[in-house]
Amino acid sequence: MSAAEDTSLTPRRIVIGIQDKSDLDAPELPSDPMPLNMGPSHPAMHGTVRMVLEVVGEKIASADVQVGYLHRCFEKESEYATWTQIFPYTDRLNYVSPMLNNVGYALAVEKLLDIDKKVPERAQYIRVIVGEIARACDHMTCLGAGGMELGAFTAFLYMVKAREWLWELLEEISGARLTHSFVRVGGVTGDLPDGWAEKLRAKIVDVRRVLAEVDGLLTRNRIFRDRMDGLGIITKEQAASYGITGPVARATGLDYDVRKDYPYLVYDQFDFDVPVGSVGDNFDRYACRVEEIQQSLRIVEQALDKIPAGPIVMADPRIVLPPKTETYNTIEAMISHFKLIMDGIHVPAGEIYSFTEGGNGELGFYVVSDGTGRPWKLHCRAPSFANTAIMPSLLPGHFIADIVPIFGMINMIGGECDR
Amino acid sequence: MADERVKVTIDGKEHEVQKGSNLLEACNAAGANVPFFCYHPGLSSPAVCRQCLVEVKGAPKPVPSCYTQCTDGMVVETKSEKALDVRRQMLEFTLVNHPIDCPICDKAGECMLQQQYFDWDGKYARNEGIKYRKAKTVDIGKHIVLDQERCILCTRCIRVCDEVAKAPELTMAKRGSSEVLTTAPGKRLDNPYSLNTVDVCPVGALTSKDFRFQMRAWELESTPSVCTGCATGCNVEIHASRGQIYRMIPRDNAAVNKHWMCDEGRFTYKPVHQHRAAVPVVGGAPVAWDTALDEAGRRLKAVLQSEKDRVGVVFNANSTNEDLHVLARLAFDHLGIARAYVAGRDQGSSDDILISADKNCNTAGVRAIGGTKLKSLVDLASDVKSGAIAALIVVGDDGVLGSGGRDGLDALPLNQLETLIVLASHSGALTDSAHVVLPMALWAELNGTFTNKLGMVQRVHKAIDPAGDSLPGWEILCHLSRRLDAAIDFDSARAVFVEAKQKYSFMIGAEWGRVHLPIQLRFAASRG
Amino acid sequence: MAQQVLDRLKSHFQGGELEDTGSQHGNEWARVRRQDWHAVCQFLRDDGETTMDFFIDITAVDRLTQVPEDRPRFDVVIHLRSSRTKHRVRLLVGVSEADPTVDSLCDLWAGANWFERETFDMYGIRFNNHPDLRRILMYPEFIGHPLRKDYPKEKRQPLVRRDGAADGGGWK
Repeated sequence: MSAAEDTSLTPRRIVIGIQDKSDLDAPELPSDPMPLNMGPSHPAMHGTVRMVLEVVGEKIASADVQVGYLHRCFEKESEYATWTQIFPYTDRLNYVSPMLNNVGYALAVEKLLDIDKKVPERAQYIRVIVGEIARACDHMTCLGAGGMELGAFTAFLYMVKAREWLWELLEEISGARLTHSFVRVGGVTGDLPDGWAEKLRAKIVDVRRVLAEVDGLLTRNRIFRDRMDGLGIITKEQAASYGITGPVARATGLDYDVRKDYPYLVYDQFDFDVPVGSVGDNFDRYACRVEEIQQSLRIVEQALDKIPAGPIVMADPRIVLPPKTETYNTIEAMISHFKLIMDGIHVPAGEIYSFTEGGNGELGFYVVSDGTGRPWKLHCRAPSFANTAIMPSLLPGHFIADIVPIFGMINMIGGECDR
Repeated sequence: MADERVKVTIDGKEHEVQKGSNLLEACNAAGANVPFFCYHPGLSSPAVCRQCLVEVKGAPKPVPSCYTQCTDGMVVETKSEKALDVRRQMLEFTLVNHPIDCPICDKAGECMLQQQYFDWDGKYARNEGIKYRKAKTVDIGKHIVLDQERCILCTRCIRVCDEVAKAPELTMAKRGSSEVLTTAPGKRLDNPYSLNTVDVCPVGALTSKDFRFQMRAWELESTPSVCTGCATGCNVEIHASRGQIYRMIPRDNAAVNKHWMCDEGRFTYKPVHQHRAAVPVVGGAPVAWDTALDEAGRRLKAVLQSEKDRVGVVFNANSTNEDLHVLARLAFDHLGIARAYVAGRDQGSSDDILISADKNCNTAGVRAIGGTKLKSLVDLASDVKSGAIAALIVVGDDGVLGSGGRDGLDALPLNQLETLIVLASHSGALTDSAHVVLPMALWAELNGTFTNKLGMVQRVHKAIDPAGDSLPGWEILCHLSRRLDAAIDFDSARAVFVEAKQKYSFMIGAEWGRVHLPIQLRFAASRG
Repeated sequence: MAQQVLDRLKSHFQGGELEDTGSQHGNEWARVRRQDWHAVCQFLRDDGETTMDFFIDITAVDRLTQVPEDRPRFDVVIHLRSSRTKHRVRLLVGVSEADPTVDSLCDLWAGANWFERETFDMYGIRFNNHPDLRRILMYPEFIGHPLRKDYPKEKRQPLVRRDGAADGGGWK
């Protein structure tokens, strides 16, 4: 009987070889609902969230999940920044997979400019490569942290080690481990350095080895399974009604991946699978992520094989900064540089909702432009926000100890949820 | 004939325009956004820059739209391939010798060349030749520096001097790549409207010595206002940043100043930041508002009770209508003061272009509100000397009473007064002699109205916060009135305006208008 | 994303409920009259052809200075998707500043709850019949609605805990 179905007040006990049953007949202790505050500063609350729980004994009667502790006014600041100045802000949305946010935002602006088909192909491949690496890192962080919160510290260290290898490569290409600001409207800022592709291939082999090790530590681990199986079950209908997307939704059996259903960039060129669960419990979410890392690595390898030569950025001085040799030596490029920096790209007035598959699901950008170099409104549809919305109805009936794995597998990233 | 309408097809859509109207204006009114350099709505159209070329059906080559009149049945294409190509070519020519000065050029951010390259060109440079060099910092006039390399030879400045200022001081010299703007032989760019050439210059060739290198255009916030230098009341824009005004430029108003203003008016922003009376002062020592108001009230009450006919009030021809109205209500209606005087700046030179001899910005207002009771400063001087006045309330002083001379401070033996209450914006000899100084906000720091010599009531908007602790004059008078048991209460300048409008005939038809928050220039389209 | 959805809406709602429709950059959108907001959204969810079961996003746009004075200042915007057909649509409803209310859609999609709370928090738009309309990103004592265009970006508000704050700090 799973914890969600057990509505009685007796705590669940695991009986392991106890012959003396006298303690099982202990009288029930009276218990009133007790308010319990969890967070916002709590080792297991990734990204600061506060849960105000009402518990009856160990069981949760109600949970008020209060987000907003990491609200940094992303949308308000965007209204005062030029289109290009917003890229560093997008890095800090889902800060464990910043490349995906960069790409999602760049695509939104490019669609408004009607240049999304004109971005050079090499740039699109590079975007896919770094995006999938970021997705793999996001899932590795989630799984590692999930394991650590249940006591499997080794899993965390192994995952973080593998993640660090990938971040070193991203640092080589963009200059930063985490806050890359690598993508621009019209392309990317840097090409793949010499030898980078070979290093990446070698590292993918190493990462797969680490994933196999962690898989061996967790997937059939008795304790891990007991704490994950059958908990936090979400149904397909609930997922659709809440707008839950990403691995959390796919674990419920809802087959929705933006890369497959509404292909963008060059995702239709690759051969990859999308893992879909069946039960919608914690373990399914874990398993989906494990498999997604493998699929992401698969995409990266294919992209490295297929990537064409060519420019990494559009050659339009009205959208992309000109090369410095031009800027310093010709008035045209100087003017273009000047206007792009001071005014911003002149995006024609209009609005668009552009969406990509972020680490946690459908990452949407609803952009309203008034024709100037700054957005009129930039709304980030954060997948974590929609995913976390189910927590207040998911937690009741579970035990306090179940909050940690459930919350860990929902993978609320504070930066994305609160923006 | 003037009202005859014709049908013109612009970019596929039919529009009805006045016969003979300018095609460029018709296109831009229809939203075609045709670029131009040499054309200016207030000047003649020489069609030298060729930037506004559009395709007209039936014409053998693209026509300059600024030089073409609309005729019936005209079909115009402003965005055909030929028109766009020609536009790009013209920009390329214009840019061929243009120096790479954007980082150091004042016009950057409001430069028409930058804007039009960005909108209509967008191609990298093709010529790799060396650019033609010309003189970089030519001191051609009292207020203006010329950079000959940046000049795109549009001749707008020449036409401003010729047609608006009626002082032909500028001319083009030489030909081809070496053509330069220069002053006519023996002349300097010294006419009283010279700074308009800086406004109309599409690039940073002509720059104002006062504004050069002071502030970047996109950091400025623009607020509409009215110049207070003389009775013409030219409409202006105040450009300020972080509480500091950097320049004033003219705002279009066909009835008052068209597109221009005089140089002297442009510098009326300087006194806003100089020698301000910023804190209330009693007996030479700065105090809090309440203390100062209480002291003023105490003194005035005492003298009003014992010898009301020895109390005088001095209006100022540079106060806003709101200040004047509240003062008139307080002095005449509530306190029953009989002795009223009007102070103002001395008369000065004038011309038949924009400059008025009357250097006060609200003479019409003060005459209407103060009425026929107002006597001159000469009368004030004799009344003070003879002892007929013991107490004086002076509202508004921007150095006018302290200017010395026949009508100024020298003639006023202020020390004879038992009580001198001064509402002033600048500190000087008058505030030094005052028993109580109540600091007033100036025109750039408040919302109010002035009446120009044509009887038009024009609105000024608040551009910056008042200096120090100063308040608008009407607000100070309201506070003072409470101390004098004559409670006049308004919660905004607009409320004063509304009441005044019902009382005075000269304000019929005047509008308070919408609130104008300062607009950052970085969002505004390029000047020109 | 789906002209069929717009066509179905236009054929079903002929009484002026749809003020305008259009398609821009591949996004189909429809502007709905305020009193019909709930009805139109419910139709989109329940209709056998459109089956917009998947909730995506609700937000608002402050159109201050962009609309003439007689038009409503805010637009509440919802994005919906159908799992079956994969069609997407955007619906907008104009909400005026003087009466910033519109019906809540919490009974149609559970996800609307938090997104409407965020719209209320940021824009001050009240959703009728919302089960729990309180701030979600800002703290309860915050005064004002920050994403409105007339809320200055640099404004600072200290967090001062006052007794009797709106939600009592979370203890119901």
